[in-house]
Amino acid sequence: MLELDRTTPALERLVPREAPLDRIHHGMSFGEGPLWDRRDGTFLWVDIVGDTIWRWQPGAGARPFIRPSGKANGLTFDREGRLCVAGWASRSVWRVEADGVVTTLASHYRGLKINSPNDIVVRSDGSIYFTDSPGALYNVGMAAADLQQYLDFQGVFRIAPDGAVDAVVTDTVYPNGLAFTPDESVLYVNDTRLGEIRAYDMRADGRCGPMRLFHKLTGSEPGIADGMKVDREGNVYCTGPGGIHVIAPDGRLLGRLRIPDHCTNLAWGGDDWRSLFITTYHSVFRTRVNLPGVAVW
Amino acid sequence: MSFEKIAGPYQGPAGGLAWQGGGVLFSALGESRILRYEPKSGAVSVFRKHTNRTNGLAFGPDGALYGCQELSRRIVRFNADGSTEQISVLLDGRYHNQPNNLAIDRAGRIWFSDPWGELRASGPQIFPPLEHASVLRLELDAFRKLWSIRRMTFDTAAARAVALSPDEQTLYVAETDNRPLGRRELRAYPVRADATLGPFTLLHSFGADHRGEHRGIEGMCVDGAGRLYACAGWRKSGPGPLVYVFSPSGAVLEAYPFPADQPMSCAFGEPGILYVTTAGGELYRARIEGVAP
Repeated sequence: MLELDRTTPALERLVPREAPLDRIHHGMSFGEGPLWDRRDGTFLWVDIVGDTIWRWQPGAGARPFIRPSGKANGLTFDREGRLCVAGWASRSVWRVEADGVVTTLASHYRGLKINSPNDIVVRSDGSIYFTDSPGALYNVGMAAADLQQYLDFQGVFRIAPDGAVDAVVTDTVYPNGLAFTPDESVLYVNDTRLGEIRAYDMRADGRCGPMRLFHKLTGSEPGIADGMKVDREGNVYCTGPGGIHVIAPDGRLLGRLRIPDHCTNLAWGGDDWRSLFITTYHSVFRTRVNLPGVAVW
Repeated sequence: MSFEKIAGPYQGPAGGLAWQGGGVLFSALGESRILRYEPKSGAVSVFRKHTNRTNGLAFGPDGALYGCQELSRRIVRFNADGSTEQISVLLDGRYHNQPNNLAIDRAGRIWFSDPWGELRASGPQIFPPLEHASVLRLELDAFRKLWSIRRMTFDTAAARAVALSPDEQTLYVAETDNRPLGRRELRAYPVRADATLGPFTLLHSFGADHRGEHRGIEGMCVDGAGRLYACAGWRKSGPGPLVYVFSPSGAVLEAYPFPADQPMSCAFGEPGILYVTTAGGELYRARIEGVAP
Protein backbone atom coordinates (compact mmCIF):
# COMPACT_ATOMS: atom_id res chain seq x y z
CA MET A 1 0.00 0.00 0.00
CA LEU A 2 1.25 3.46 -0.85
CA GLU A 3 1.54 5.71 2.21
CA LEU A 4 0.52 9.32 1.71
CA ASP A 5 1.13 12.60 3.46
CA ARG A 6 -2.24 14.16 2.73
CA THR A 7 -1.08 17.67 3.49
CA THR A 8 -4.11 19.17 1.74
CA PRO A 9 -7.54 17.69 0.93
CA ALA A 10 -6.86 18.41 -2.73
CA LEU A 11 -4.43 15.48 -2.94
CA GLU A 12 -7.31 13.00 -2.84
CA ARG A 13 -8.56 14.00 -6.27
CA LEU A 14 -5.12 13.14 -7.68
CA VAL A 15 -4.07 10.14 -5.64
CA PRO A 16 -6.59 7.71 -4.13
CA ARG A 17 -6.53 7.02 -0.39
CA GLU A 18 -5.79 3.39 -1.05
CA ALA A 19 -3.28 3.05 -3.85
CA PRO A 20 -1.18 -0.07 -4.40
CA LEU A 21 2.60 -0.02 -4.21
CA ASP A 22 4.01 -3.00 -6.09
CA ARG A 23 7.71 -3.65 -6.24
CA ILE A 24 8.30 -4.96 -9.73
CA HIS A 25 12.09 -5.23 -9.59
CA HIS A 26 14.82 -5.11 -6.99
CA GLY A 27 18.58 -5.37 -6.81
CA MET A 28 20.03 -2.40 -8.67
CA SER A 29 22.80 -0.23 -7.24
CA PHE A 30 21.30 3.01 -8.48
CA GLY A 31 18.00 3.01 -10.35
CA GLU A 32 17.02 5.94 -12.61
CA GLY A 33 15.68 6.76 -16.07
CA PRO A 34 12.13 5.27 -15.89
CA LEU A 35 10.32 5.16 -19.25
CA TRP A 36 7.12 3.49 -20.46
CA ASP A 37 6.96 2.15 -24.00
CA ARG A 38 3.30 2.16 -25.04
CA ARG A 39 3.94 0.12 -28.20
CA ASP A 40 4.45 -3.17 -26.42
CA GLY A 41 3.64 -2.28 -22.81
CA THR A 42 7.19 -2.57 -21.58
CA PHE A 43 8.99 -0.51 -19.01
CA LEU A 44 12.61 0.64 -19.31
CA TRP A 45 14.90 2.06 -16.66
CA VAL A 46 18.61 2.19 -15.86
CA ASP A 47 21.02 1.12 -13.19
CA ILE A 48 23.67 3.85 -13.43
CA VAL A 49 26.28 2.19 -11.22
CA GLY A 50 25.43 -1.21 -12.71
CA ASP A 51 25.99 0.25 -16.20
CA THR A 52 22.78 -1.25 -17.63
CA ILE A 53 19.53 -0.22 -19.30
CA TRP A 54 16.86 -2.67 -18.11
CA ARG A 55 13.61 -3.72 -19.76
CA TRP A 56 10.62 -5.18 -17.95
CA GLN A 57 7.42 -6.69 -19.28
CA PRO A 58 4.45 -7.75 -17.17
CA GLY A 59 4.59 -11.51 -16.77
CA ALA A 60 8.01 -11.81 -18.38
CA GLY A 61 10.11 -9.94 -15.82
CA ALA A 62 13.28 -7.92 -16.25
CA ARG A 63 16.18 -8.40 -18.64
CA PRO A 64 19.23 -6.29 -19.44
CA PHE A 65 18.43 -4.34 -22.60
CA ILE A 66 21.67 -2.42 -23.21
CA ARG A 67 24.84 -3.26 -21.30
CA PRO A 68 27.30 -1.63 -20.96
CA SER A 69 25.32 1.57 -21.25
CA GLY A 70 27.95 4.26 -20.65
CA LYS A 71 26.31 4.55 -17.23
CA ALA A 72 23.21 5.96 -18.92
CA ASN A 73 20.84 8.11 -16.87
CA GLY A 74 17.57 9.70 -18.11
CA LEU A 75 15.60 8.05 -20.94
CA THR A 76 12.85 9.23 -23.25
CA PHE A 77 11.43 8.67 -26.73
CA ASP A 78 11.51 11.19 -29.52
CA ARG A 79 8.60 11.93 -31.90
CA GLU A 80 9.46 8.85 -33.95
CA GLY A 81 9.60 6.57 -30.93
CA ARG A 82 13.38 6.28 -30.93
CA LEU A 83 15.05 5.85 -27.56
CA CYS A 84 16.94 9.00 -26.55
CA VAL A 85 19.42 8.74 -23.71
CA ALA A 86 20.93 11.29 -21.33
CA GLY A 87 24.30 9.58 -21.48
CA TRP A 88 25.76 10.66 -18.12
CA ALA A 89 29.21 8.97 -18.05
CA SER A 90 29.39 8.94 -21.86
CA ARG A 91 29.16 12.74 -21.63
CA SER A 92 26.76 12.78 -24.55
CA VAL A 93 23.13 12.49 -25.56
CA TRP A 94 22.60 9.52 -27.84
CA ARG A 95 19.76 7.96 -29.78
CA VAL A 96 19.08 4.36 -30.74
CA GLU A 97 18.01 4.14 -34.38
CA ALA A 98 15.44 1.68 -35.69
CA ASP A 99 18.24 -0.69 -36.77
CA GLY A 100 19.94 -0.51 -33.35
CA VAL A 101 22.77 1.79 -34.41
CA VAL A 102 23.61 4.48 -31.88
CA THR A 103 23.84 8.12 -33.01
CA THR A 104 25.45 10.82 -30.87
CA LEU A 105 23.23 13.90 -30.79
CA ALA A 106 25.25 16.17 -28.49
CA SER A 107 28.68 15.93 -26.90
CA HIS A 108 30.17 19.42 -27.16
CA TYR A 109 29.08 23.00 -26.78
CA ARG A 110 31.12 25.73 -28.47
CA GLY A 111 33.98 23.25 -28.88
CA LEU A 112 34.03 22.15 -25.26
CA LYS A 113 32.95 18.78 -23.93
CA ILE A 114 29.66 19.06 -22.04
CA ASN A 115 29.37 17.85 -18.41
CA SER A 116 27.22 14.74 -17.97
CA PRO A 117 23.66 14.70 -19.35
CA ASN A 118 21.35 13.82 -16.50
CA ASP A 119 17.73 13.86 -17.65
CA ILE A 120 15.99 14.44 -20.93
CA VAL A 121 12.63 15.44 -22.40
CA VAL A 122 11.37 15.86 -25.98
CA ARG A 123 9.05 18.68 -27.02
CA SER A 124 6.30 18.17 -29.60
CA ASP A 125 8.32 20.06 -32.23
CA GLY A 126 10.97 17.33 -31.96
CA SER A 127 13.54 19.39 -30.10
CA ILE A 128 15.29 17.71 -27.17
CA TYR A 129 16.01 19.39 -23.84
CA PHE A 130 18.46 17.91 -21.35
CA THR A 131 20.02 18.90 -18.04
CA ASP A 132 23.83 18.88 -17.89
CA SER A 133 24.81 18.49 -14.25
CA PRO A 134 28.40 17.38 -13.55
CA GLY A 135 27.63 14.27 -11.46
CA ALA A 136 29.51 11.74 -13.61
CA LEU A 137 32.60 13.90 -13.19
CA TYR A 138 32.46 13.88 -9.40
CA ASN A 139 30.13 11.24 -7.97
CA VAL A 140 31.61 8.15 -6.38
CA GLY A 141 30.87 5.04 -8.46
CA MET A 142 29.62 6.89 -11.55
CA ALA A 143 32.85 8.03 -13.15
CA ALA A 144 33.24 9.07 -16.78
CA ALA A 145 36.49 8.25 -18.62
CA ASP A 146 37.46 11.94 -18.65
CA LEU A 147 36.56 13.56 -15.33
CA GLN A 148 37.50 17.10 -16.26
CA GLN A 149 34.72 19.70 -16.28
CA TYR A 150 35.35 22.12 -19.16
CA LEU A 151 32.21 24.27 -19.08
CA ASP A 152 31.95 26.90 -16.35
CA PHE A 153 28.22 26.41 -15.95
CA GLN A 154 25.80 23.56 -15.32
CA GLY A 155 22.71 24.26 -17.36
CA VAL A 156 20.05 23.01 -19.71
CA PHE A 157 20.70 22.44 -23.41
CA ARG A 158 18.36 22.22 -26.36
CA ILE A 159 19.04 20.09 -29.39
CA ALA A 160 17.09 21.64 -32.24
CA PRO A 161 15.43 19.44 -34.87
CA ASP A 162 18.31 20.39 -37.20
CA GLY A 163 20.83 19.12 -34.64
CA ALA A 164 22.12 22.47 -33.37
CA VAL A 165 23.01 22.45 -29.66
CA ASP A 166 22.17 25.58 -27.69
CA ALA A 167 22.38 26.46 -23.98
CA VAL A 168 18.91 27.60 -22.88
CA VAL A 169 19.41 27.75 -19.09
CA THR A 170 22.74 28.70 -17.53
CA ASP A 171 21.77 29.90 -14.05
CA THR A 172 21.27 26.51 -12.37
CA VAL A 173 23.84 24.93 -10.03
CA TYR A 174 22.89 21.26 -10.32
CA PRO A 175 20.03 20.95 -12.84
CA ASN A 176 18.41 17.55 -12.70
CA GLY A 177 14.79 16.67 -13.52
CA LEU A 178 12.97 18.65 -16.20
CA ALA A 179 9.45 18.64 -17.63
CA PHE A 180 7.13 20.84 -19.67
CA THR A 181 3.67 21.96 -18.65
CA PRO A 182 0.97 20.12 -20.68
CA ASP A 183 0.74 23.08 -23.11
CA GLU A 184 4.57 23.28 -23.31
CA SER A 185 4.50 26.99 -22.51
CA VAL A 186 6.67 26.57 -19.39
CA LEU A 187 9.74 24.43 -18.72
CA TYR A 188 10.25 23.27 -15.14
CA VAL A 189 13.81 22.47 -14.09
CA ASN A 190 14.67 21.31 -10.62
CA ASP A 191 17.98 22.09 -8.97
CA THR A 192 19.28 19.44 -6.60
CA ARG A 193 21.80 21.69 -4.90
CA LEU A 194 19.34 24.51 -4.30
CA GLY A 195 16.41 22.20 -3.49
CA GLU A 196 14.03 24.12 -5.69
CA ILE A 197 11.95 23.86 -8.84
CA ARG A 198 12.37 26.70 -11.30
CA ALA A 199 10.01 27.73 -14.06
CA TYR A 200 11.04 29.24 -17.39
CA ASP A 201 8.54 30.63 -19.88
CA MET A 202 9.22 29.22 -23.32
CA ARG A 203 9.91 31.62 -26.14
CA ALA A 204 8.88 31.10 -29.73
CA ASP A 205 12.44 30.22 -30.77
CA GLY A 206 12.64 27.36 -28.21
CA ARG A 207 14.82 29.31 -25.81
CA CYS A 208 13.86 30.04 -22.22
CA GLY A 209 12.83 33.32 -20.65
CA PRO A 210 13.99 34.53 -17.24
CA MET A 211 13.88 32.20 -14.24
CA ARG A 212 11.16 32.32 -11.65
CA LEU A 213 11.01 30.22 -8.52
CA PHE A 214 8.12 27.78 -8.79
CA HIS A 215 8.52 25.78 -5.59
CA LYS A 216 11.05 25.33 -2.80
CA LEU A 217 11.18 21.74 -1.54
CA THR A 218 10.80 21.20 2.21
CA GLY A 219 11.66 18.38 4.58
CA SER A 220 14.79 16.82 5.99
CA GLU A 221 14.04 13.15 5.31
CA PRO A 222 16.32 11.34 2.86
CA GLY A 223 15.61 12.44 -0.70
CA ILE A 224 16.47 15.27 -3.06
CA ALA A 225 15.12 17.09 -6.09
CA ASP A 226 15.90 14.52 -8.79
CA GLY A 227 13.26 13.18 -11.21
CA MET A 228 10.20 15.26 -12.08
CA LYS A 229 7.08 14.72 -14.23
CA VAL A 230 3.81 16.57 -14.87
CA ASP A 231 0.25 15.23 -15.10
CA ARG A 232 -2.28 16.30 -17.73
CA GLU A 233 -3.74 18.99 -15.48
CA GLY A 234 -0.31 20.47 -14.84
CA ASN A 235 0.33 19.12 -11.35
CA VAL A 236 4.04 18.56 -10.78
CA TYR A 237 5.37 15.31 -9.29
CA CYS A 238 8.93 15.79 -8.05
CA THR A 239 11.19 13.57 -5.94
CA GLY A 240 12.28 15.19 -2.70
CA PRO A 241 12.74 14.55 1.01
CA GLY A 242 10.64 11.52 2.05
CA GLY A 243 9.34 10.61 -1.40
CA ILE A 244 7.45 12.27 -4.24
CA HIS A 245 6.12 15.78 -3.66
CA VAL A 246 2.90 16.63 -5.50
CA ILE A 247 2.69 20.32 -6.32
CA ALA A 248 -0.27 22.20 -7.83
CA PRO A 249 0.20 24.35 -10.97
CA ASP A 250 0.25 27.43 -8.72
CA GLY A 251 3.28 26.09 -6.81
CA ARG A 252 1.49 24.91 -3.62
CA LEU A 253 2.44 21.57 -2.07
CA LEU A 254 -0.61 19.27 -2.14
CA GLY A 255 0.96 16.30 -0.40
CA ARG A 256 3.60 13.60 -0.60
CA LEU A 257 3.80 10.00 -1.78
CA ARG A 258 5.96 8.29 0.83
CA ILE A 259 8.32 5.94 -0.95
CA PRO A 260 10.41 3.35 0.86
CA ASP A 261 14.11 3.49 -0.11
CA HIS A 262 15.53 6.66 -1.65
CA CYS A 263 13.52 7.52 -4.77
CA THR A 264 15.27 8.94 -7.80
CA ASN A 265 12.72 9.39 -10.57
CA LEU A 266 9.23 8.56 -11.81
CA ALA A 267 7.43 7.98 -15.09
CA TRP A 268 3.85 7.74 -16.25
CA GLY A 269 2.81 4.50 -17.89
CA GLY A 270 0.17 1.91 -18.53
CA ASP A 271 -2.40 2.05 -21.32
CA ASP A 272 -4.20 4.94 -19.61
CA TRP A 273 -1.00 6.74 -18.44
CA ARG A 274 -2.32 6.48 -14.87
CA SER A 275 0.32 4.08 -13.62
CA LEU A 276 3.25 5.71 -11.91
CA PHE A 277 6.56 3.87 -12.12
CA ILE A 278 9.05 4.94 -9.48
CA THR A 279 12.76 4.17 -9.43
CA THR A 280 14.71 4.15 -6.17
CA TYR A 281 18.35 3.33 -5.52
CA HIS A 282 17.63 -0.39 -5.42
CA SER A 283 14.06 -1.01 -6.64
CA VAL A 284 11.32 -0.19 -9.13
CA PHE A 285 7.84 0.41 -7.71
CA ARG A 286 4.50 0.91 -9.44
CA THR A 287 1.39 2.62 -8.16
CA ARG A 288 -1.85 3.94 -9.64
CA VAL A 289 -3.20 7.48 -9.53
CA ASN A 290 -6.46 9.14 -10.61
CA LEU A 291 -5.27 11.61 -13.22
CA PRO A 292 -3.26 10.55 -16.26
CA GLY A 293 0.22 11.90 -16.82
CA VAL A 294 1.64 13.64 -19.87
CA ALA A 295 2.29 10.88 -22.41
CA VAL A 296 5.90 10.45 -23.50
CA TRP A 297 5.17 10.42 -27.22
CA MET B 1 63.71 32.55 8.62
CA SER B 2 61.04 35.04 7.65
CA PHE B 3 57.87 34.07 5.83
CA GLU B 4 56.45 36.34 3.20
CA LYS B 5 52.86 36.21 1.95
CA ILE B 6 52.88 36.04 -1.84
CA ALA B 7 49.34 35.06 -2.90
CA GLY B 8 45.81 34.87 -1.57
CA PRO B 9 43.69 34.71 0.36
CA TYR B 10 41.51 32.47 -1.79
CA GLN B 11 38.19 31.00 -0.70
CA GLY B 12 38.59 28.19 1.81
CA PRO B 13 41.90 26.69 2.85
CA ALA B 14 44.87 26.31 0.53
CA GLY B 15 46.19 22.75 0.52
CA GLY B 16 48.68 20.60 -1.38
CA LEU B 17 51.59 21.97 -3.38
CA ALA B 18 53.98 20.67 -6.03
CA TRP B 19 56.94 22.34 -7.73
CA GLN B 20 56.56 22.34 -11.48
CA GLY B 21 59.85 23.73 -12.74
CA GLY B 22 59.70 27.52 -12.66
CA GLY B 23 56.47 27.72 -10.71
CA VAL B 24 54.68 26.20 -7.78
CA LEU B 25 51.25 24.59 -8.08
CA PHE B 26 48.96 24.87 -5.09
CA SER B 27 45.37 23.87 -4.35
CA ALA B 28 42.74 26.50 -3.51
CA LEU B 29 40.38 24.00 -1.91
CA GLY B 30 37.28 26.13 -1.52
CA GLU B 31 37.51 27.20 -5.16
CA SER B 32 38.26 23.69 -6.45
CA ARG B 33 41.14 25.13 -8.44
CA ILE B 34 44.83 24.39 -8.76
CA LEU B 35 46.76 27.63 -9.14
CA ARG B 36 50.32 28.28 -10.26
CA TYR B 37 52.57 30.94 -8.79
CA GLU B 38 55.55 32.14 -10.86
CA PRO B 39 58.33 33.46 -8.62
CA LYS B 40 59.93 35.42 -11.48
CA SER B 41 56.91 37.57 -12.23
CA GLY B 42 54.85 37.07 -9.09
CA ALA B 43 51.91 36.19 -11.33
CA VAL B 44 49.27 33.64 -10.36
CA SER B 45 47.55 31.69 -13.14
CA VAL B 46 44.95 28.94 -13.20
CA PHE B 47 46.43 25.49 -13.81
CA ARG B 48 43.15 23.54 -13.44
CA LYS B 49 39.54 24.39 -12.67
CA HIS B 50 36.76 22.21 -11.28
CA THR B 51 39.03 19.89 -9.27
CA ASN B 52 36.33 18.91 -6.74
CA ARG B 53 38.57 19.83 -3.83
CA THR B 54 41.74 18.11 -4.99
CA ASN B 55 44.15 18.55 -2.09
CA GLY B 56 47.53 16.74 -2.06
CA LEU B 57 49.53 17.10 -5.31
CA ALA B 58 52.63 15.26 -6.55
CA PHE B 59 54.38 14.55 -9.82
CA GLY B 60 55.11 10.92 -10.70
CA PRO B 61 58.24 9.64 -12.44
CA ASP B 62 56.13 9.63 -15.63
CA GLY B 63 55.98 13.43 -15.38
CA ALA B 64 52.22 13.46 -14.79
CA LEU B 65 50.58 15.33 -11.95
CA TYR B 66 48.55 13.24 -9.51
CA GLY B 67 46.16 14.62 -6.91
CA CYS B 68 43.94 13.58 -4.02
CA GLN B 69 40.37 14.39 -5.08
CA GLU B 70 38.89 14.52 -1.61
CA LEU B 71 35.23 14.95 -2.50
CA SER B 72 35.29 12.20 -5.12
CA ARG B 73 37.21 9.71 -2.93
CA ARG B 74 39.95 8.97 -5.43
CA ILE B 75 43.41 9.69 -6.77
CA VAL B 76 43.29 11.35 -10.17
CA ARG B 77 45.83 12.08 -12.87
CA PHE B 78 45.80 15.49 -14.54
CA ASN B 79 46.85 14.82 -18.12
CA ALA B 80 48.82 17.26 -20.22
CA ASP B 81 45.97 17.54 -22.76
CA GLY B 82 43.71 18.99 -20.07
CA SER B 83 41.74 15.82 -19.35
CA THR B 84 41.55 14.16 -15.94
CA GLU B 85 41.36 10.44 -15.22
CA GLN B 86 40.86 8.23 -12.24
CA ILE B 87 43.36 5.43 -11.86
CA SER B 88 41.93 2.72 -9.65
CA VAL B 89 39.45 3.43 -6.93
CA LEU B 90 38.64 0.15 -5.18
CA LEU B 91 40.40 -1.46 -2.25
CA ASP B 92 39.39 -5.14 -2.24
CA GLY B 93 36.20 -4.24 -4.10
CA ARG B 94 35.24 -1.27 -1.95
CA TYR B 95 35.50 2.47 -2.40
CA HIS B 96 38.06 3.91 0.00
CA ASN B 97 37.69 7.09 2.05
CA GLN B 98 38.79 10.61 1.15
CA PRO B 99 42.48 10.77 0.20
CA ASN B 100 44.24 13.80 1.56
CA ASN B 101 47.95 13.60 0.87
CA LEU B 102 50.26 11.55 -1.31
CA ALA B 103 53.90 10.70 -2.00
CA ILE B 104 55.09 8.98 -5.18
CA ASP B 105 58.22 6.81 -5.16
CA ARG B 106 60.70 6.30 -7.99
CA ALA B 107 58.89 3.12 -9.07
CA GLY B 108 55.75 5.21 -9.59
CA ARG B 109 53.89 3.74 -6.63
CA ILE B 110 51.52 6.25 -5.07
CA TRP B 111 51.40 6.21 -1.28
CA PHE B 112 48.40 8.12 0.00
CA SER B 113 46.64 8.84 3.24
CA ASP B 114 42.96 7.93 3.31
CA PRO B 115 41.30 9.58 6.31
CA TRP B 116 37.57 9.70 6.91
CA GLY B 117 36.50 12.98 5.41
CA GLU B 118 35.00 15.80 7.37
CA LEU B 119 33.04 16.88 4.29
CA ARG B 120 30.36 14.90 2.49
CA ALA B 121 31.60 13.30 -0.69
CA SER B 122 29.86 14.08 -4.00
CA GLY B 123 26.77 12.24 -5.10
CA PRO B 124 24.45 9.73 -3.48
CA GLN B 125 25.85 8.22 -0.30
CA ILE B 126 25.59 4.63 -1.45
CA PHE B 127 29.15 3.54 -0.76
CA PRO B 128 29.97 3.54 2.96
CA PRO B 129 33.47 4.47 4.07
CA LEU B 130 36.00 1.82 5.05
CA GLU B 131 36.20 0.65 8.65
CA HIS B 132 39.78 1.93 8.77
CA ALA B 133 41.64 5.10 7.84
CA SER B 134 45.00 3.94 6.60
CA VAL B 135 47.84 4.69 4.26
CA LEU B 136 47.05 2.97 0.96
CA ARG B 137 49.21 2.43 -2.09
CA LEU B 138 48.35 2.50 -5.77
CA GLU B 139 50.67 0.35 -7.84
CA LEU B 140 50.94 -1.17 -11.29
CA ASP B 141 50.98 -4.91 -11.82
CA ALA B 142 54.04 -6.77 -13.13
CA PHE B 143 53.02 -6.04 -16.73
CA ARG B 144 52.70 -2.34 -15.88
CA LYS B 145 49.14 -2.34 -17.17
CA LEU B 146 46.65 -2.54 -14.34
CA TRP B 147 46.59 -0.43 -11.22
CA SER B 148 45.47 -1.80 -7.90
CA ILE B 149 45.29 -0.48 -4.36
CA ARG B 150 46.91 -2.11 -1.33
CA ARG B 151 46.48 -1.30 2.32
CA MET B 152 49.84 -0.42 3.87
CA THR B 153 49.19 0.58 7.50
CA PHE B 154 47.13 -1.36 10.00
CA ASP B 155 47.59 0.84 13.06
CA THR B 156 46.43 4.31 12.00
CA ALA B 157 43.12 6.01 12.74
CA ALA B 158 43.79 9.41 11.19
CA ALA B 159 46.61 9.08 8.65
CA ARG B 160 47.11 12.48 7.12
CA ALA B 161 50.45 13.73 5.77
CA VAL B 162 52.79 11.22 4.10
CA ALA B 163 56.39 11.61 2.89
CA LEU B 164 59.23 9.32 1.81
CA SER B 165 62.87 9.58 2.90
CA PRO B 166 65.35 10.31 0.09
CA ASP B 167 66.44 6.65 0.00
CA GLU B 168 62.75 5.57 0.08
CA GLN B 169 63.56 3.20 2.93
CA THR B 170 61.30 5.11 5.33
CA LEU B 171 57.72 6.26 5.05
CA TYR B 172 56.85 9.15 7.33
CA VAL B 173 53.22 9.32 8.37
CA ALA B 174 51.55 12.07 10.33
CA GLU B 175 48.70 10.63 12.34
CA THR B 176 46.63 13.75 12.96
CA ASP B 177 43.34 13.89 14.82
CA ASN B 178 43.00 17.35 16.33
CA ARG B 179 39.83 16.58 18.24
CA PRO B 180 39.98 16.15 22.03
CA LEU B 181 41.88 12.94 22.92
CA GLY B 182 42.77 12.42 19.26
CA ARG B 183 46.22 11.07 18.42
CA ARG B 184 48.73 13.50 16.92
CA GLU B 185 51.99 11.81 16.07
CA LEU B 186 54.82 11.80 13.58
CA ARG B 187 55.77 8.21 12.77
CA ALA B 188 58.53 6.57 10.74
CA TYR B 189 57.68 3.22 9.13
CA PRO B 190 60.53 1.19 7.61
CA VAL B 191 59.79 0.14 4.01
CA ARG B 192 60.80 -3.52 3.92
CA ALA B 193 62.37 -5.36 1.02
CA ASP B 194 59.04 -6.94 0.13
CA ALA B 195 57.59 -3.39 -0.03
CA THR B 196 55.43 -3.83 3.06
CA LEU B 197 55.87 -1.63 6.11
CA GLY B 198 57.54 -2.68 9.36
CA PRO B 199 56.55 -1.49 12.84
CA PHE B 200 56.80 2.27 13.21
CA THR B 201 59.04 4.40 15.37
CA LEU B 202 57.32 7.30 17.09
CA LEU B 203 59.38 10.38 16.21
CA HIS B 204 57.32 13.09 17.84
CA SER B 205 54.00 13.50 19.58
CA PHE B 206 52.02 16.69 20.06
CA GLY B 207 50.69 17.62 23.46
CA ALA B 208 47.79 19.52 24.95
CA ASP B 209 47.36 22.27 27.51
CA HIS B 210 44.56 24.04 29.35
CA ARG B 211 43.55 25.70 26.08
CA GLY B 212 43.22 22.41 24.22
CA GLU B 213 45.01 19.98 21.94
CA HIS B 214 48.06 21.15 20.08
CA ARG B 215 47.41 20.86 16.36
CA GLY B 216 49.36 18.05 14.70
CA ILE B 217 50.98 17.90 11.28
CA GLU B 218 48.79 18.69 8.28
CA GLY B 219 51.44 18.57 5.55
CA MET B 220 55.17 17.95 5.24
CA CYS B 221 58.08 17.51 2.87
CA VAL B 222 61.61 16.10 3.04
CA ASP B 223 64.86 17.77 1.94
CA GLY B 224 67.84 16.07 0.32
CA ALA B 225 69.44 15.40 3.71
CA GLY B 226 66.33 13.66 4.97
CA ARG B 227 65.16 16.46 7.23
CA LEU B 228 61.40 16.81 7.55
CA TYR B 229 59.71 20.18 7.16
CA ALA B 230 56.28 19.99 8.76
CA CYS B 231 53.31 22.37 9.08
CA ALA B 232 51.61 22.15 12.49
CA GLY B 233 50.20 24.19 15.36
CA TRP B 234 47.55 26.86 15.71
CA ARG B 235 46.88 30.00 17.69
CA LYS B 236 44.25 28.30 19.82
CA SER B 237 46.69 26.37 22.01
CA GLY B 238 50.28 25.29 22.53
CA PRO B 239 53.25 27.01 20.93
CA GLY B 240 51.17 28.46 18.08
CA PRO B 241 51.46 27.99 14.32
CA LEU B 242 54.88 26.59 13.40
CA VAL B 243 56.94 25.11 10.63
CA TYR B 244 58.99 22.39 12.29
CA VAL B 245 62.24 20.93 11.02
CA PHE B 246 62.79 17.38 12.29
CA SER B 247 65.93 15.29 11.93
CA PRO B 248 65.39 11.83 10.41
CA SER B 249 65.40 10.47 13.96
CA GLY B 250 62.74 12.91 15.13
CA ALA B 251 64.77 15.59 16.94
CA VAL B 252 63.25 19.06 16.59
CA LEU B 253 66.04 20.96 14.83
CA GLU B 254 64.02 24.13 14.39
CA ALA B 255 60.52 25.36 15.11
CA TYR B 256 59.90 28.49 13.05
CA PRO B 257 56.96 30.64 14.19
CA PHE B 258 54.59 31.05 11.27
CA PRO B 259 52.88 34.42 10.77
CA ALA B 260 49.41 33.08 9.84
CA ASP B 261 47.21 30.63 11.68
CA GLN B 262 47.25 26.94 10.75
CA PRO B 263 49.92 26.38 8.12
CA MET B 264 48.62 23.53 5.94
CA SER B 265 51.21 22.05 3.65
CA CYS B 266 54.69 22.81 2.29
CA ALA B 267 56.94 22.02 -0.65
CA PHE B 268 60.38 23.08 -1.83
CA GLY B 269 60.58 25.27 -4.88
CA GLU B 270 63.58 26.88 -6.46
CA PRO B 271 66.82 26.19 -4.50
CA GLY B 272 66.54 27.26 -0.86
CA ILE B 273 62.87 28.27 -1.01
CA LEU B 274 60.06 26.66 0.95
CA TYR B 275 56.44 27.33 -0.05
CA VAL B 276 53.71 27.03 2.58
CA THR B 277 49.91 27.14 2.26
CA THR B 278 47.53 28.18 5.04
CA ALA B 279 44.05 27.38 6.30
CA GLY B 280 43.22 31.00 5.50
CA GLY B 281 43.76 30.30 1.82
CA GLU B 282 47.15 31.98 1.40
CA LEU B 283 50.50 31.07 -0.10
CA TYR B 284 53.69 32.01 1.75
CA ARG B 285 57.34 31.45 1.04
CA ALA B 286 60.60 31.62 2.97
CA ARG B 287 64.28 31.23 2.27
CA ILE B 288 65.63 28.31 4.25
CA GLU B 289 69.19 28.34 5.53
CA GLY B 290 71.05 25.09 5.09
CA VAL B 291 68.37 23.23 3.20
CA ALA B 292 69.84 20.34 1.27
CA PRO B 293 68.70 20.15 -2.36
